[in-house]
Amino acid sequence: MKHIRTIKEPVLRQKPSETGCGECQASCQSACKTSCTVANQKCEKK
Amino acid sequence: MIHCFTCNGAHLLLDADSGAVHVVDALVKDLVPYYTEGDPEAAAQALASSYPPGEVAAAWDELETLEKSGALNADYGYGEAYLKRPGVVKSLCLNVSHDCNLRCAYCFASTGDFGGERLLMPQATASAAIDFLVARSGGRKQLEVDFFGGEPLMNWDVVKNTVAYGRAREKEAGKRIRFTITTNALAIDDEKIDFIKREMANVVISLDGRKEVHDAVRKTPSGKGSYDLIIDGARALAKALDGREHYVRGTYTALNTDFSKDVLALADLGFTQLSVEPVVTRDERFALMMGDLPRIRLEYERLAREYVRRRKTGEWLNFFHFMLDLDDAPCVAKRLIGCGAGNEYVAATPNGDIYPCHQFVGEDAFIMGNVHEGRFDEAMQRRFAGLNILKKPACRDCWAKYFCCGGCAANAWKMNKDLYAPDRMSCEVFKAHLECALWVYASERSLPFPGEDGDKMQTNVEDYPGG
Repeated sequence: MKHIRTIKEPVLRQKPSETGCGECQASCQSACKTSCTVANQKCEKK
Repeated sequence: MIHCFTCNGAHLLLDADSGAVHVVDALVKDLVPYYTEGDPEAAAQALASSYPPGEVAAAWDELETLEKSGALNADYGYGEAYLKRPGVVKSLCLNVSHDCNLRCAYCFASTGDFGGERLLMPQATASAAIDFLVARSGGRKQLEVDFFGGEPLMNWDVVKNTVAYGRAREKEAGKRIRFTITTNALAIDDEKIDFIKREMANVVISLDGRKEVHDAVRKTPSGKGSYDLIIDGARALAKALDGREHYVRGTYTALNTDFSKDVLALADLGFTQLSVEPVVTRDERFALMMGDLPRIRLEYERLAREYVRRRKTGEWLNFFHFMLDLDDAPCVAKRLIGCGAGNEYVAATPNGDIYPCHQFVGEDAFIMGNVHEGRFDEAMQRRFAGLNILKKPACRDCWAKYFCCGGCAANAWKMNKDLYAPDRMSCEVFKAHLECALWVYASERSLPFPGEDGDKMQTNVEDYPGG
């Protein structure tokens, strides 16, 4: 493509059965803590 | 849902449902609103004076191709089927101290006592809290315990003994506890550094940046600025943790909306793991208001530019909110729920009361039980487990929903008395740093991309005037 460059292919195409194992770190979205927001976490299964 | 935005002169396009990220040129940036409306004729007419008609049509075709491939306007119907039943309690915030050796003016915990008595957690309560966590964790092997407060180093023996107790419980219960700690570093010494290095999987050191900024708000009980008292200890602790997960975390307020200077001041001191968070307060001296947003956005952009430049030239640093891992990020089920407060994550106070999280401490209506009494309000746990972005009206149409994941429940309650209504200011600040994080991601990955006349796609920081 000339006008668009994809730098991240779709990643969130997941079936319900593939999600929600619960092993990832519990998240806190509070601004008074740092280091455990969802956007900055990793999936523990990967 | 798509979100096309400009950051540091580059145009990016995020597809919310698929998580796809694209770098686009100015033509596509201008075309997107018409594409969203599905009106190619209006696009051709409106953009005729700016771009050759053939190029507008070609760009439209590219957007259509992207959509057919599932990387644009994807709609995967993330709904109830992705929601899991209430979890088990697997993460504990242990307020070992409702006291502090500082009196920071903006403290969310009312300078450490959360509005009550200044207390230190007795060992019996800390151990009972570990027992509570193990008992409530079901089959979950990986547990988390964060030493928090107040200032946890003021109750150091309890910290050490609780880790020892936790390690013993790990073995017999078949668990693994990830201990972490947040500290202002005032009471740090070599013994504590050794222990922290050995036992803590993550450490947050509170330091606001420039000395004058830090000292304006982070004072000792006698009213003296604390910077000179903590800086050497903070540096020693950070140095001991080099290569391990830790963050030097500052708070920015209305007094320092030029906070990129504080982040960079920390970097210039040799700290490499950095974070700043906006203050959580209603105090008019410090509170960030909607009118501050343009300045805040500019500041994240400025920071992002310098961040990419330094990392490219060997002056390595990490900034928490720019650390987006789009490859190994959490799944959809996690993203629908976000915050684990009151469900998988709870806080325990010095007298053993259990709250949904550290920010709910002091809100009596949210007491969930007590670690000494073995009671836990499962109805309230179900209530918190039911908080998700599908049920929050402000989140449903927000492009950032799968990153923000509904925001902070405590902030929603404090600001709006409604767990389903995130604090708007927090939403806007989040979107500001997320856009910059996506630009950082693009900048560190994309190659020069020729536009129609061979110009480089502006994702390389050297291309910016004055960058």
